[in-house]
Amino acid sequence: MSRLLRAPSREVQRGLIGGLMLLGGWEAATRLFKLPAYVLPPVSGIVEAIVERRAALLAAAGYTASEALIGYAIGCAVGIGLAMLLALFPRPRRAFVSMATAVNSIPVVGYAPLLLLWFGTGIASKIAAVAFAVSFVVFISTLSGLDRVDKRAVDLMRSFGAGKVSILWRLQLPTALPLIAAGMRVSTVRSIIIAIVVEMLGAYGGLGWVIYQAVMQIDFVQVWAAIFVASAISLLFFNLIGLAEWKLVFWR
Amino acid sequence: MAAASKTSDGLLLSGRAILRLVVGVAAIAVVWQASVLLFGIRPYYLPRLSVVLEALAATPDAYIASLLRTASETLLGYAAGALFGIALGSMFFHRKVLKDTLFPMFVVSQTIPVIAFGAVIVLWFGNTLFAKAVMAFYLTFFPVTVNTLLGLQSVDPAQVSLMKSFGAPRRQVFWKLQFPNALPQIFVALRLATSLSLVGAMVGEWFGDTVGLGVLLLQATYNENVVGIWAALLVAAALGTLFYAAVAGLERKLVFWRVER
Amino acid sequence: MIKRRKVLSALGAASLVAAPYVRAFGGTPVKASLRLKWLPQAQFMGFYIAAEKGYYRAEGIDLTINPGGPNLLAENLVATGADTFGVSGGTDSVFAARDKKLPIVCFGIDHQITPFIFVSKKDGPVKTIQDFKGRVVTTWFTGANYVLEGVLAKAGVNPKDVNIQPQQVSATPFVEGNVDVFTATLYNEFYTLEKRIGLANLTRFAAEDYGITVPRDTLIVSETTAKEKPELLPAFLRASIRGWRDAFADQKAAIDLMMKIAPTLDRGHQEFMLAEIKRLMLAGKAGDEGLFWIDPVAVKTAHDMFLNYKVISAPVDLKAAFISAPLESIALADRKV
Repeated sequence: MSRLLRAPSREVQRGLIGGLMLLGGWEAATRLFKLPAYVLPPVSGIVEAIVERRAALLAAAGYTASEALIGYAIGCAVGIGLAMLLALFPRPRRAFVSMATAVNSIPVVGYAPLLLLWFGTGIASKIAAVAFAVSFVVFISTLSGLDRVDKRAVDLMRSFGAGKVSILWRLQLPTALPLIAAGMRVSTVRSIIIAIVVEMLGAYGGLGWVIYQAVMQIDFVQVWAAIFVASAISLLFFNLIGLAEWKLVFWR
Repeated sequence: MAAASKTSDGLLLSGRAILRLVVGVAAIAVVWQASVLLFGIRPYYLPRLSVVLEALAATPDAYIASLLRTASETLLGYAAGALFGIALGSMFFHRKVLKDTLFPMFVVSQTIPVIAFGAVIVLWFGNTLFAKAVMAFYLTFFPVTVNTLLGLQSVDPAQVSLMKSFGAPRRQVFWKLQFPNALPQIFVALRLATSLSLVGAMVGEWFGDTVGLGVLLLQATYNENVVGIWAALLVAAALGTLFYAAVAGLERKLVFWRVER
Repeated sequence: MIKRRKVLSALGAASLVAAPYVRAFGGTPVKASLRLKWLPQAQFMGFYIAAEKGYYRAEGIDLTINPGGPNLLAENLVATGADTFGVSGGTDSVFAARDKKLPIVCFGIDHQITPFIFVSKKDGPVKTIQDFKGRVVTTWFTGANYVLEGVLAKAGVNPKDVNIQPQQVSATPFVEGNVDVFTATLYNEFYTLEKRIGLANLTRFAAEDYGITVPRDTLIVSETTAKEKPELLPAFLRASIRGWRDAFADQKAAIDLMMKIAPTLDRGHQEFMLAEIKRLMLAGKAGDEGLFWIDPVAVKTAHDMFLNYKVISAPVDLKAAFISAPLESIALADRKV
């Protein structure tokens, strides 16, 4: 499964070629059609702006990344923990899943104002939003993963006198790992975006805050610069989790 | 099928399930109403459920029209995103060069907070229902692609070689072995994508629209109408749950061979 | 069928009311759109009434009103041609747009004075502008923060001595006393404050009292439209003014229409809003010069402040950015309320 991210040099090369083609095409299009910055600024201009404002952007990126990371860690722990609890005590499972789904179907942007009200304009509201969204994805993924276990293997373990906990730990969890990992990986990117979106609605710092102000002050290059930085940290995060995941599976 | 019902996460349409659902909803309603009254929670933090329901009843047409509008945007974007995601995942599985070249870019595309690009969406897609569906599509296709690819990759290679050794063509190996085996994992993404597509549609409505749950939410938020926020959230939650249940139901029908615990 | 009949009757009405203009556009109405800065509400009442009553049609414009939203800039959409007209942020956003080389011009201003003010609670610690020192003041960091700094500077208070923080959507932190000074839009937050604290319990600090002003809600159009279809601008202004006059003359009917367009709005708030908007639109020079007046002195004052705070990188050519000719082509009697 982790072939996706094992990234031997050949894959990295191809990825880089793809990325370069995109950026090259972008730059060429803006120059060829003389697009004004409010439609699409050239890549070179955006990179220039990033270099020029690196200190402010780096600070904002650090702010957003820490919100996303803390929220992500809490979300993963809660999601996996809850799914394991339900695997051990399945009675309230259906009611719980239905309720979680109902709550999760509410867009972050919808309850963000409520979170700001409850947790304040600081980083707590962003961490809560990220943790919330991540925990749901990881929870559903883990639950589905735990279900995948072969019933015969369970019966076999049970006939050897293995308890629920040991079946969960030795059999179900290892089987579930690929799905848990997929959920965790998809959540990396989401966590950054959610932090940014909530920041846009009210914050003391961060990339979303920078983007919101730049949009309002019609500074499109700044918007793009912040988005480039956001993409870069998302990508870094995504690949770090992918790498960690591969190491874990490899080690097994 | 009877066995499948045991592990399903969705809602079952059996009498007992409906009863349980009604009891569950009623329990939440009672807890909500009672806790607001008992703990004296101020309405700016959490209004009483009865007040929220009154708001819904006061202008039912507005909420129904918005529900229908948002539901069609969501469904349209979801259907397109699901099909595209499955196709893309399958293509990446078969053509490694394409996967290596394009996949990182799709990852990057998902790291862009589209909410910052309202103007671009309007420029490209106008003020149409289609523009909102595009947003739903954009959020839907990625998890489906990832899970399709992972699902296909996790098929036992021994079984694949076995089928091939019997002279089965590639197409047959895909449809008879790999795809069915990947289906459970694909469905995990399809279920998760239900709420993502709803989010996409509602955020899409923030880019200048008059009807839709996203519009109602926005209006209520900025007017500090907490009751209005909750009313819109309640309708959105109902739509999201129903949608999720429908996909989970489809999953039970299609993935009935899923190994039982 | 019904639609066609509607169109025909509208055209019939048009030929009676404003035959010359319809002829000027060659008989068929010109398709155009107006991008608002926010969702439908009484803030834009006049435009909705003019559309509903067919005033734009009578002027030969087939107008679609497109609502706005967060992160959606009217300047951007008008500059790219996605929308013909826009009710944009204000003089501040027009400066910023021109500074960023967006080809838009302003041809009318809704709110003649700053539509937001700073408020503190009468029973709180802030009684005068000097008391801002060391207190928590929240404001929007999208322009209002410069107005605040300007006011403080004029009063001799160093903004660095004030704990200025970004303001969130909710007024609750202010109501509960966690924030000492709050920025309130006269037609929005003021309504919330009226209901939760009572306006009588507030001390107000208006920018105008400190020689600062930022007229807002600007009517904008692209340079291309202004150059290629100049007749469209007075036509749009005439119809809009008729709509606003009707809105002010019969506020109940106006709010009835708004509640039909957006039934989930709070009627009390909309009535409050329309009354405040009327005050803002008729303030300053608009009393003598009529609706949408562009007061060069006020515009210059706002411009100099934003230039001073380096929000704009260089002076904006105000004569090119703000054009009064379309408005002045309408007889003064037809502009006044």
